[in-house]
Amino acid sequence: MGEKELTEQLVDPQETIRLLQKELEETNSGLVALTLELEYRVDARTAELREAHDELRRTNSELLQLTLELEERVAQRTEELRKLNEELEARVRARTSELEATNKELEAFTYSVSHDLRAPLRHLDGFSKLLLEEYSAELPAQAQHYLTRVREGAVRMGQLVDDLLNLSRVGRQELRCHIVGLNALLEEAQRDLQPEMESRQIDWKISPLPFVECDRALMKQVFANLLSNALKFTRPRERAVIEVGTMTRDDQTVVFVHDNGVGFSMKYVDNLFGIFQRLHRQEDFEGTGVGLATVQRIIRKHGGRVWAEGELDKGATFYFALGSPRAEGREKAPEWGRPYDERSGNPAG
Amino acid sequence: MTREVEILLVEDNPEDVELTLHALRQQNLANDIQVVRDGEEALDFLFCRGPYSQRSFESPPRVVLLDLKLPKVDGLEVLREVKSDPRTRAIPVVILTASREEKDMVNGYHLGVNGYIQKPVDFDKFREMVKRLGLYWLVVNEPAPPAAFRPR
Repeated sequence: MGEKELTEQLVDPQETIRLLQKELEETNSGLVALTLELEYRVDARTAELREAHDELRRTNSELLQLTLELEERVAQRTEELRKLNEELEARVRARTSELEATNKELEAFTYSVSHDLRAPLRHLDGFSKLLLEEYSAELPAQAQHYLTRVREGAVRMGQLVDDLLNLSRVGRQELRCHIVGLNALLEEAQRDLQPEMESRQIDWKISPLPFVECDRALMKQVFANLLSNALKFTRPRERAVIEVGTMTRDDQTVVFVHDNGVGFSMKYVDNLFGIFQRLHRQEDFEGTGVGLATVQRIIRKHGGRVWAEGELDKGATFYFALGSPRAEGREKAPEWGRPYDERSGNPAG
Repeated sequence: MTREVEILLVEDNPEDVELTLHALRQQNLANDIQVVRDGEEALDFLFCRGPYSQRSFESPPRVVLLDLKLPKVDGLEVLREVKSDPRTRAIPVVILTASREEKDMVNGYHLGVNGYIQKPVDFDKFREMVKRLGLYWLVVNEPAPPAAFRPR
């Protein structure tokens, strides 16, 4: 019976159409719903994207703002630095011109000292001498003694003025450096000191010294002062021994001047190079206390250092090194400690 | 006719004048010395003008001893004028000064000075120096012939 009904139904076109229609309607409404759903989702996505876009735009403009701010701050800071720099430069200029003025004043002062201070001393010494010579018959021995003291004072002060001027000149003078053989300078200094060697027994032990880059006149003065000290402080010795040589210390060649004189106590070694510092009484060993200060100033000007060792009644040794040894200097100078023939310019032996 | 001057001493300081003259006198060298006390007077003397207009360029001093620090016209200026005029250029000029400043020595020699001597404080040394100086310029040295003082 079912079959019959089915058949009847199948064959009933009306029914078929109705069924189909219904089916179609259902599909249609499904499609509508889907469309709606899709539309909704697209809208939602669009909104999301728009929001993201807006967000990006906001971020972008924030970044832009930040960049502008940074640029402004950099510009500001640059300007500040420029101003600071200008201020510093102005201050340096001001300070330099102040220093130049001071320097000029100092030079004028030194010049005046050099010229004016010595004149009255000359007069003191000159007229005392004339008094002693021309009125010696009328002058009691004590008066002559006083006049002699006046002369000594004048000459001593003259020496002091000269030494001080010399020290100040060393400070002001610019170095004129050349390669110089130290043995030649030493010999010159020895010759200048000849009067102080008369009627004395002196053993000179001079080793070959290096060639160094230095200011000739100033380095000669170093030797003159060191040798003059050595001669002076060995005066009580029957036979003076003065040794000049080199040694190596801390990879540096060091020149030393050693004597067997009265020496000094290491207690006072720090005073040795100070200006006006003396370790002996004037009546024992004359001096102004400027010589070693001058030596130190010259050596320091050459970028070197100077020091001393001594023992009371045994002797003294003064050492100096000129700056740090440089490869360049080594090329020009021969090996240290080897004999050097100055005339041929070749190491001998 | 004025007597011939052998030494012109240009020195402003009276003590220095006295000591220098004394030293020269001891060497019997002080017979014909003219002392002038500043640079202007030195130039008047050397260029035969003002109070010295009676002098003649034909009889120049044998030597000029010139201090550097002088009133009115300083020593280097005197030297400059003397050495830049053909009528006076051949006059020997020796700077006799207290200064041992390199600057002064360089300037002096550049201007053609004939000698540079620093006055020592020690009077014995000073006297010895004056003696040698006087002997050299007045006895040892041959003075310039008159033709040396005429423009070429």
